[in-house]
Amino acid sequence: MKKLNKRLLRMIKSSKGQFISVVVIIMVALSIFISFSTTAVNMRNAIDYYYEETKLSHIHVQLMRIPQGALRQVESIEGVTDVQGRVSFDVPLKTDDEEEKVRIRIISLPEGGGKVNRLYSPQTIDEITQGNAILIKQFAEARNIMPGDIIEPYINGREHSLKVIGVASSSEFVYLMENEQTMMPAPEKFGVVYVTEEFAQSTYGYKGSYNEILIRVKDESMIDDVADELDKRLDKYGVKRIIKREDQLSPKILSQELMGLDMMAAAIPVLFLIVAGIIISIVLSRMVSNDRMAIGVLKALGYSNREVLLHYLKYALSIGVTGSLMGIVIGLLLAGVLSEIYAMFFEIPLLKVDIHYVYIIYSLFLTSLFCIASGLMGARHVLGITPAESMRPEPPKSGKHIFIEKIGFFWRRLSFSWKMVIRNILRSKRRFIFLVMGLAMAFAINTVPVYMWDSATGMFYIQFGQFQKMDYIIGLAKPMNEDVIYDMKGLLKGGKLEPRIEYPFEISNGWRKLNASIIGIPRDTKFYEFRNEHDKEVTLPEKGIFITEYMAKALNIKKGDRVKVKNFIPGKDDMYFEVREIIKQYLGANAYMDIDYMRETLTEKNMINGLSVASKEDLKTKLEDARNISSVSSIDDMTKTFEEYIDVMLLSINIMMLFGGVLGFALIYNSTIISIAERRMELAALRVMGFDKKEIFWMLAKENSVITVIAIFLGIPVGIGMIQGMADTFNTELYSLPMIITPKTFLIAGLSTLLFAAIAQLAALKKIHNINFIDALKSRIS
Amino acid sequence: MEKTPQIKVENLSKFYQMGEVQVKALDDVSFEIYEGEFVVILGPSGSGKSTLLNIMGGMDLPTSGRVIIADEEITKYNDTKLTAYRRDKVGFVFQFYNLMANLTARENVELAAEICKDTMDIDEVLEEVGLSERKDHFPSQLSGGEQQRVAIARAVAKNPLLILCDEPTGALDFTTGILILALLRKINKKMNKTVVVITHNMAVGGMGDRIIKMRSGKITEIKENPDPIPPERIEW
Ligand SMILES: Nc1ncnc2c1ncn2[C@@H]1O[C@H](COP(=O)(O)OP(=O)(O)O)[C@@H](O)[C@H]1O
Ligand SMILES: [Mg+2]
Repeated sequence: MKKLNKRLLRMIKSSKGQFISVVVIIMVALSIFISFSTTAVNMRNAIDYYYEETKLSHIHVQLMRIPQGALRQVESIEGVTDVQGRVSFDVPLKTDDEEEKVRIRIISLPEGGGKVNRLYSPQTIDEITQGNAILIKQFAEARNIMPGDIIEPYINGREHSLKVIGVASSSEFVYLMENEQTMMPAPEKFGVVYVTEEFAQSTYGYKGSYNEILIRVKDESMIDDVADELDKRLDKYGVKRIIKREDQLSPKILSQELMGLDMMAAAIPVLFLIVAGIIISIVLSRMVSNDRMAIGVLKALGYSNREVLLHYLKYALSIGVTGSLMGIVIGLLLAGVLSEIYAMFFEIPLLKVDIHYVYIIYSLFLTSLFCIASGLMGARHVLGITPAESMRPEPPKSGKHIFIEKIGFFWRRLSFSWKMVIRNILRSKRRFIFLVMGLAMAFAINTVPVYMWDSATGMFYIQFGQFQKMDYIIGLAKPMNEDVIYDMKGLLKGGKLEPRIEYPFEISNGWRKLNASIIGIPRDTKFYEFRNEHDKEVTLPEKGIFITEYMAKALNIKKGDRVKVKNFIPGKDDMYFEVREIIKQYLGANAYMDIDYMRETLTEKNMINGLSVASKEDLKTKLEDARNISSVSSIDDMTKTFEEYIDVMLLSINIMMLFGGVLGFALIYNSTIISIAERRMELAALRVMGFDKKEIFWMLAKENSVITVIAIFLGIPVGIGMIQGMADTFNTELYSLPMIITPKTFLIAGLSTLLFAAIAQLAALKKIHNINFIDALKSRIS
Repeated sequence: MEKTPQIKVENLSKFYQMGEVQVKALDDVSFEIYEGEFVVILGPSGSGKSTLLNIMGGMDLPTSGRVIIADEEITKYNDTKLTAYRRDKVGFVFQFYNLMANLTARENVELAAEICKDTMDIDEVLEEVGLSERKDHFPSQLSGGEQQRVAIARAVAKNPLLILCDEPTGALDFTTGILILALLRKINKKMNKTVVVITHNMAVGGMGDRIIKMRSGKITEIKENPDPIPPERIEW
């Protein structure tokens, strides 16, 4: 082996701790990069394949009722390749436990499984016949229902029994959620059951007709045109919603999840590599100034600048190579684990864990880039060292006054030891700046999980504690006269009731449009609280509409602008409304109107289709099988589901805190070791003068804490920036993270940063013990 | 004279601008050295000896004047050529040995040798400087004298045209210093290498074939010494 390489290896061996700490950072960066990217690609590939294999619909239409024969009008639309009608409705399922509320969606399947939204199952399943059913896999597994078992749904108040003949997956329900309001899949509480057309139609009262149409088009670019045409042709059948694939619940959540994964795969590794780069350049620049004489000798021996520079660059590169190789291996292993975690929430039967070599190449390229750049940055002073110059004794470091000394009144007030601390910190300004930058970043990374926690819990508790104070939202099977309130009042022992109407509409501003529900409630509502963008409480006006911040952004609307509301209800015209306030809402995106005004303009006089209820009774049991009631959502149940989900979140938050901590640790550990090495002579002199090791430790600890505290303060705006970015990424139609940033956010993140800094300082303690002050004083040449 | 000089130094000057004052580290210095000579440059501290040696060794450039070595004007060289010159033609020995701390004795010698084309056998050289037994020790495990032997082996192994030694005994005690000088003399004789030794120690002067005395950047005297004393008989 080349002697210089041998020297390199021994250099690494003698500074193991430093080497390893940076290797770990790179390892973490790359394992995240590899595992996240690999998982994202594998999921994307599997999903695309799955969608095509099972012929997932491009457009999904929900309407009141359409006769089977009328489907021909859809088939004749230019670009449409396949059309399939079906009946779909949600009903309760009988369970052994009276308390437990389970709902299922019954969906009809044409003979032969149909041409659109075909089911997927690795085993062949017999053709379903009257009285038989196929169950969706997630539900069957969660409830441990096997083929041959009998399930008993209540349909239109009557109990039916269906024999399960098979279990299958559907590309329509990769992410199995009941509706937009559900936060998390709860496969033991909601499932899908496929039955024959005849069974569905006859039990639900839809003989010879459908309430949903699935459509596939020749080319995805035609989706918009076909959707517009459908809107015209199906108007008379009472179209409720025309949902393009990108807006369908499961595909939408999946693609959001993948976008989030992509963002993390890019952002976290880059942040980590920046910190690793900072450390490498600090370590190398220190190494080079330490090796001044050795570098001079090498040059005197005839080594060229390039060779010497390369020698030091190899140090950076070996960190990079070791870190990336370990990171790649761990990343590939983690990709499997991550895919499995996703498989818990998403049912993608064809998901394979493939290795994508491009990402390995990207990783190596990215790491080399960072390592070489930071290596050059740190080692470039090699070039300035001339052999003749390096042989001369180093001139004493020019003791300069630092700028703080000019702030006389401040400086005079400092004790001697603090003056020392400040002088030492500012001894190398460049390093100080780098160190503070790195620590500020580590701190900022720590603020993100604290924020995520606050905002996710806040999102839920503000939404349901403050913005919506009802206990139940009841959906009626069909619009009814509001007198139903009096019937309901009689049914409930006490409790409060409010009427509500909720219908989906297409809301647009110019070419921008979205599908959302408009909810009509009384103006003097006791259940809803609205707050505008400035967090000021506002009440519904007599006329006009409130929309949420998300909608305002998506539609590019300001307060006072008008939006167009396209009415799906037969015989009703499109209307324009003035946006009177833009309101905060963290879960879901809806618009609100005064109930009377809504009935006057968009729906029918005196009719309602829902109720908000405050009651301590268990209405789920009481009302679930009541006629005319299609759904009872309990805020309490949602809270429970949410609290289960929070445990999962807590884990990922702790992992993120650990990441930030590792960065802080590595920065402080390296800089402490360096400053000990650099000041060996001084520290030895202090020891000779009678300072003990503890006092030296505290002196260094003081320096580190000052640096860390400065970094924390500078990190606050960086943290706010990262949090803003995070909130923007996760601002969707389903939920938006509130900007809950309090001093507590920074306090917790700061304490965690300080904690890891303290651990690093302790880890460097050994080096203080190793200072041999006799040796250090003997000569400047060692 | 029938011999042509191997090294020609002509009107060499080196000035340093230190703020207001100009330090004349070398002030119009000229002399010649012949192949195989053992030359001692003698002068008090600060007289410009190191500056002169550094320029001769291609480690530094003069303000004016020329150095011609084996008919090549090295003071005209660019950085690349100077590096190649140091690599193949010169061996350095420094006052503080300046070995690589994390390489063993043998590895230190190999470090220098492995970049040259025409080198000597490393084990032979180590044998020659009397270090065969200790070649696998690290510098920190060697005495000053032993370290300086490694440094000499490192210079010799390159099989250079000339060996330049800057105060090679400066950090050593008397007896060890004498042994080092004797070793240098032996190498000079046996391998017929030109050796230039810098010292501020008058007594060492007597062992040189040619003695160049310096003071304040100027040469005060060049003395040929047809009858040098063997190093073993030096006293100071
Ligand atoms: N890089 C430099 N910058 C400024 N002055 C220098 C430099 N190198 C040498 N000198 C000055 O030049 C003079 C000669 O130095 P040097 O050649 O080292 O003397 P010697 O080796 O004889 O002790 C001294 O006065 C020294 O201070
Ligand atoms: Mg000198």
